[in-house]
Amino acid sequence: MSFFNSINKSFRILLLATLFISTTAWGGGLFDKELLKTLKQSAEEKITGQSATPVEEEVAIGRQIAGNLLGAAPLVRDAKLQKYVNNVGRWVADQSERADLAWHFGVIESNDVNAFAAPGGYIFVTHGLYNLLQNEAELAGVLAHEVGHVIRQHHLKILQQSKLLDLGSQVVAQKTGGNDKAQGLIGSGAEIMSRSLDKNAEFEADRIAVVLTTRAGYDAFALPAVLQQIGHFAKDDGDVALLFKTHPHPDDRLGKLGMAMGDRFDRVKGESLEARLYRIKP
Amino acid sequence: MNNTTQQIRCLIHHSLHLTSALLLAGGLLISGAVVAAESGTALKADDIKAEPYGDAKTVAKLKTGDKVDIIRKDGGWLQVNSKKGKGWVRMLSIRKGEAIKKSSAGGVLGLASGRAGTGKVVATTGIRGLNEEELKSAKFNEVEIKLAESYASSKPEAAGFAAQGKLVARPFNYLEVSK
Repeated sequence: MSFFNSINKSFRILLLATLFISTTAWGGGLFDKELLKTLKQSAEEKITGQSATPVEEEVAIGRQIAGNLLGAAPLVRDAKLQKYVNNVGRWVADQSERADLAWHFGVIESNDVNAFAAPGGYIFVTHGLYNLLQNEAELAGVLAHEVGHVIRQHHLKILQQSKLLDLGSQVVAQKTGGNDKAQGLIGSGAEIMSRSLDKNAEFEADRIAVVLTTRAGYDAFALPAVLQQIGHFAKDDGDVALLFKTHPHPDDRLGKLGMAMGDRFDRVKGESLEARLYRIKP
Repeated sequence: MNNTTQQIRCLIHHSLHLTSALLLAGGLLISGAVVAAESGTALKADDIKAEPYGDAKTVAKLKTGDKVDIIRKDGGWLQVNSKKGKGWVRMLSIRKGEAIKKSSAGGVLGLASGRAGTGKVVATTGIRGLNEEELKSAKFNEVEIKLAESYASSKPEAAGFAAQGKLVARPFNYLEVSK
């Protein structure tokens, strides 16, 4: 009887653990979990060879997407700027549970107001968005939102759910540059970067962002300040067309964030570091 | 992007910078009045507090849509002036007015440093966006990705940078999902 009980107990614990993992990983179900497993197995064989770890696969996919994005919009030619952004970004990312990733940040040549995150820790902000920033805390807030997407693997989820990831497909024959195998998993170019994530993934990244900026010692209200700025743009403004298409309206994001933050930040002061914000020469 | 289009872009860019510089020169003269009173609207009903704290005395109550003038910001609080009273409101309860889009995109300080405004001015010409088609047809650029990777900061490097700015890491729990 006691033997049966203990089996029963461990089964229940296992069941509970499974439920916990499946709901926290994606906020999805067991089906997602299975898909992820298949993705990882498939990616393992296709991308980096049998011995690859899941993180290496994630980075290989992310690097391919990032390289494609840079093909469309190169880095701003300002080494000091790029180094500065990596310092701020790395400091913020190190406040997360994935501090061991090799994080990469950059500012890309585009007047669009947008920021991008690719799996494995590749994060880019456009020149247009950078120009709107008032202080270092705001930069930290924007980067932290993208860090949120990476640590919760939001884009990998999109790859799983969309037809971009054809699990049955053979390695693509055409030469695309970079890692052909990874390219085969992500569709055309950096198309994945123009896809909308689930609205809740955006709200989640916002919640993570205010927490990471706070942990890093910055003003918690820096990202909200940027959202307020972006909210001023008219919906038909070409600069924000892609951003508005792929994200909930800033007002909705501010509303949701306000509810989640409540009064928890009332007495939390942080640095803005306005003087240290690196200004791109016009 | 070929050389010719790049040159054209540069030219347009430069002339626009010149334009914004001229606008700035004019703007400085009237700046004080424009920037001082940034307007806003209450996104939701909220209290106006005597001080920027949740447990401070409530001075008045704002209703959704009430207009306010924003005086200054302190952390998550905005000091406002409204018909109902003067005091502090949670920043996230206020939407900044859109009528003054340009001056709010950095104020005069932003324009003076050449940051704000430029992106905006160029934007209206629609020279360069980053649309879905561009992303879809993007080709992998090994040189650029290697360059991007060359700027990476290590953990100790980032920690040193943070210390220079007197940033101190502190624990803070993730937020619960709001329904």
